[in-house]
Amino acid sequence: MSLVIARNELRRLFVQPLAWALLAAVLGVLAYFFLLTLQGFLVLMPKIAGIPTAPGVTDLVALPLLRAIASVLLLVVPLLGMRAFAGDRQSGALPLLLASGLSDARIVVGKYLGLVAFLIVLILLALAMPLSLQVGTALDLTRLATAALGLILFVATLAALALCASSYAQQPVVAAGLALVLNLLLWMLDAGARYEGVSSDFVNYLALPTHLEPFLHGIVASVDIVYFVLLATVALALATRRLGAARVRG
Amino acid sequence: MLAGRRIVASLNLTLDRGSVLGLLGVNGAGKTTTLRMIAGLLAPSSGQVLIGGVELSEQPSGARRLGYLPELPPLYAELRVGEYLDFCARLHGLRGTLVTQAVTRVIERCGLGDVRRRLLGNLSKGFQQRAGIAQALVHAPDLIVLDEPASGLDPLQAVQIRALVRELGKEHAVILSTHLLPDVQACCDRVVILHEGRARYDGPRQALGDDLEALFLRIVSTPDEPVAA
Repeated sequence: MSLVIARNELRRLFVQPLAWALLAAVLGVLAYFFLLTLQGFLVLMPKIAGIPTAPGVTDLVALPLLRAIASVLLLVVPLLGMRAFAGDRQSGALPLLLASGLSDARIVVGKYLGLVAFLIVLILLALAMPLSLQVGTALDLTRLATAALGLILFVATLAALALCASSYAQQPVVAAGLALVLNLLLWMLDAGARYEGVSSDFVNYLALPTHLEPFLHGIVASVDIVYFVLLATVALALATRRLGAARVRG
Repeated sequence: MLAGRRIVASLNLTLDRGSVLGLLGVNGAGKTTTLRMIAGLLAPSSGQVLIGGVELSEQPSGARRLGYLPELPPLYAELRVGEYLDFCARLHGLRGTLVTQAVTRVIERCGLGDVRRRLLGNLSKGFQQRAGIAQALVHAPDLIVLDEPASGLDPLQAVQIRALVRELGKEHAVILSTHLLPDVQACCDRVVILHEGRARYDGPRQALGDDLEALFLRIVSTPDEPVAA
């Protein structure tokens, strides 16, 4: 039943200009970034060609692009997810789902899957850029695959945070702002602590980049997977709780 | 109880298939709160809602025999009428060819044939209201709950909606809330007058004849006087 909602969410995203505009803007920015790094690589390549352990095109072009995707999505996912509940609440469409007899958890999961599906499409389109280099050179496809997996886990977590913010906010704009603050906080948490001279494993563990970087280096560790799954689950559970609380409070 | 305030109390309603119950009251009487509780949007602090003898919260999802139209029709402005009703049918557990059949039937019944390919956001208020009613009907529920279905419509649209409600009352059990006496006179078999959260009158409409307005005004102006059914 959640899949019915997910499909509808995906359809609603694709019939609105916002999603298309964001998709075009994100891919445009990434394409520019991709060309710049490619240009840089072409300049650098003759100089490092003789060094046996020199980084290759995967390290110098593909992975920087994936890092750029992560940074851009940090800003874009809140905009894509802001309407999930706050928008429906504002337009009066939320009672349709609430009165359907589906559990709050299923409603949240349905909305979540729809948003994640859209983001996966976006990531795959962006990945087509570095993959196109395969025509002329040999990419480290295993590393690209682990990096893509990490990126998908990362955006799935961002989507859960955006949905959670949307379930608490009355207006979509507030939801987007809230999700953005959460994202940036989790992104810069460890950097902030380090600037302050605090080097704590706990603060490190909380920060998003700590768990994304290993994937980009080709390392799939359960601790990182657990982190993303845990964070997403907590965010979705909070969103579910919020819907339930609204049934009691009105 | 909402925010520590008692909105509706000691309300006891039963309704059979094939009848239309009109919940009448001034603004703030507790009509919408009552309907939201029936639809499962609000949990009553005490008491229960049974449909077909089964508690609302215990009904399996998808098999819920209830259709609900809130005061503001719950539409997705960016979808076309057909797409939207297709989703509503699936949301209530219909699958395969049943979806197409149900959508075709409800579009015909609610007079939405000419606008089926138009975006919901671009429709007039009357058509949006019809689309809202259509989503409440599409899965052929036993109980249909309509919150002020004719408010804000022009006289012609209001007449058409009332005729539709009367039609629905032949096959389903319908509860509608309204503060418009003509709504009740045109389509209800039974009237419950709600005032300050309590049912002050509960009885067949025919028994009232033309006295509905007088009774209503008496209840509203003398809140403490008991009124028998």
